[in-house]
Amino acid sequence: MKTLAALKVLVVEDEALVSMLVEDMLSDLGCVIVGPAAELDEALRLAAAADIDAALLDVNLGGRPIFPVADALKERGVPFAFASGYGEAGLSEGHKGATVLQKPFREADLRKVLEGLAAQSV
Amino acid sequence: MGVRSLAKATSLAEKGGVEDLAARLAAAEEALAEEVRRSRALNRIAEAIGAGHDAETLVQTVVDGGVELTGAQFGAFFYKVVDQAGESLMLYSLSGAPRSAFEAFPTPRGTAVFAPTFRGEGVVRSDDITRDPRYGRTSPHYGMPEGHLPVRSYLAVPVVTRAGAVLGGLFFGHPQPGRFGPRAESLAVGLAGQAAVAIESARTQEAAQAELTQRRDAEERLKFALEAGRLGSWELDVETRAYLASDICKANYGRAPGDDFGFADLVASVHPDDRPRMIAAIEDAIRHGADYDIEYRVRRPDGEVRWVHARGRAAQTADHGGARRMAGVSLDVTERKRAEERQKLLVNELNHRVKNTLVSVQSIASQTLRTTDSPEAFRDAFEGRIMALSHTHDLLTQQNWQGASLREIFDFELEAFAARDRIAFDYARDVQLSPKATVALGMAVHELATNALKYGALSVPGGGVRVTWEPEPDDSGALRLTWAEHGGPPVVPPRRHGFGARLLEKGLAGELSAQVALAYDSLGLVCTMKLPTRALEP
Repeated sequence: MKTLAALKVLVVEDEALVSMLVEDMLSDLGCVIVGPAAELDEALRLAAAADIDAALLDVNLGGRPIFPVADALKERGVPFAFASGYGEAGLSEGHKGATVLQKPFREADLRKVLEGLAAQSV
Repeated sequence: MGVRSLAKATSLAEKGGVEDLAARLAAAEEALAEEVRRSRALNRIAEAIGAGHDAETLVQTVVDGGVELTGAQFGAFFYKVVDQAGESLMLYSLSGAPRSAFEAFPTPRGTAVFAPTFRGEGVVRSDDITRDPRYGRTSPHYGMPEGHLPVRSYLAVPVVTRAGAVLGGLFFGHPQPGRFGPRAESLAVGLAGQAAVAIESARTQEAAQAELTQRRDAEERLKFALEAGRLGSWELDVETRAYLASDICKANYGRAPGDDFGFADLVASVHPDDRPRMIAAIEDAIRHGADYDIEYRVRRPDGEVRWVHARGRAAQTADHGGARRMAGVSLDVTERKRAEERQKLLVNELNHRVKNTLVSVQSIASQTLRTTDSPEAFRDAFEGRIMALSHTHDLLTQQNWQGASLREIFDFELEAFAARDRIAFDYARDVQLSPKATVALGMAVHELATNALKYGALSVPGGGVRVTWEPEPDDSGALRLTWAEHGGPPVVPPRRHGFGARLLEKGLAGELSAQVALAYDSLGLVCTMKLPTRALEP
């Protein structure tokens, strides 16, 4: 179990404004930001190899689903949450039941989700 | 009788002498000729009846033949009509007199003379009807109305079916008395019997024909309506599973009119995922009389998948022992289904965009708050950024979210900008950008222009901006966009990294994979963006 302080969080988000908000919130929470990745290739590379404790994934990356990145993280045992305007409805069959951060969200919502991820992180 | 008359004539000739012989022979020959004529008339009638003419032609033949056979001058058939007003008699056919001879008179009523005929009681034969005790007893005419055909000899025979129903009566008349003997009567009775059979069968045939025509018309109307509504019709024999489908119905499953299309073909053409549901619905309709009303996917022989809406009902047997047949309609509803799916996608997409836009606004608010010193400054900057976002949305909506050109982005963002005439453009060709790049660049343009107006070249008179774009010289296909300020106050790099600089240097870099450089040149700020091809062309 880890705390949020210095928790290394991979951020995958393709919209600059949203990404900037998430970065600010994570900084305020004391986390270390990995990325942000705005493209699938970059996200896959980081998910497979980067030194990370958790990940926050935008479901739709420029029209392409994020699920391959989620699969890669699952493989590595890295806990992650989806950020989505669709809510759980936007998830693929294989990822139903995963943690979803519903957009828009408050810093407190993000903290709660991250604490949940940190608890799973080894 | 002809042979007997001849024998009688011969014996008389032997007794009475030779001189009478010639005259008597002539009389006998006349009688024979008369007999032959009658026999021919009977043949004609029999032929007419056998030929299966319509009732009107038949009756006319009978009446004409009757006049000939009985030696009457007039003959008529009146038929009985039963309606709301009671029984009445209508002239049907007439022989030996024009129709106008009767048209002036009211229809015959149940007078003492007529009643026995129309009640089917029996024959009325009179040598002189005007002397008959039944004659002239009923008001208002008390006998024949004035102008009536001059009838003295009278013969009336009811026309009665084998079942005993009175169809009407055959009437024969002659202006001279004593014309109808027992022979005429028996001929007329025979004719009436023939007429009854003929009329009855002709009526049955006419009724059957009328019903057939009516059914054919109804079927034609139904077919027209089905075709107009593109509705296919089908019928299923519950026991044998024989399935009959109309041409349109077959077309709904991708079959040509001539193709075999049985129940097994129908079931096989339904999408495997929908098949159990379809079979259950049919069973339910057959077993419990439920309405069959179902939409399912159909895989056509050419591989295309379309949606069909089928409706039907199982017809229960009279003893409620279950359904023997099921019938209904089918309709291709693919377009409607696709429209529904499109709408669902659109609503989802709209929801996604609204949520993302709300996060963008949240982000702008949060970052503006971090980089402004007073509520007034916050409000000023926040409102400007929200308006910039809104302008970009307007532009994209106008373009149906297909993206926009670089020049359009500048024009939209700078539309209400005070110093827009101090921004000069220099480019060879306008370029089209993706929707994503449009949103990102819209905000970037807003930040650059606002910064120039507040601190840069546009904050002093005489300062200006030169915007240029051209293909990157490295042949990568990327675009180099330059915002170069000149004539402004001395440039000092900002104390802290503002929202605009962050958006340009990090946001654009991340979102569009662009390379963005901000140079605080002594002449003024120069922003250079290298936009990769993927940001260009939607």
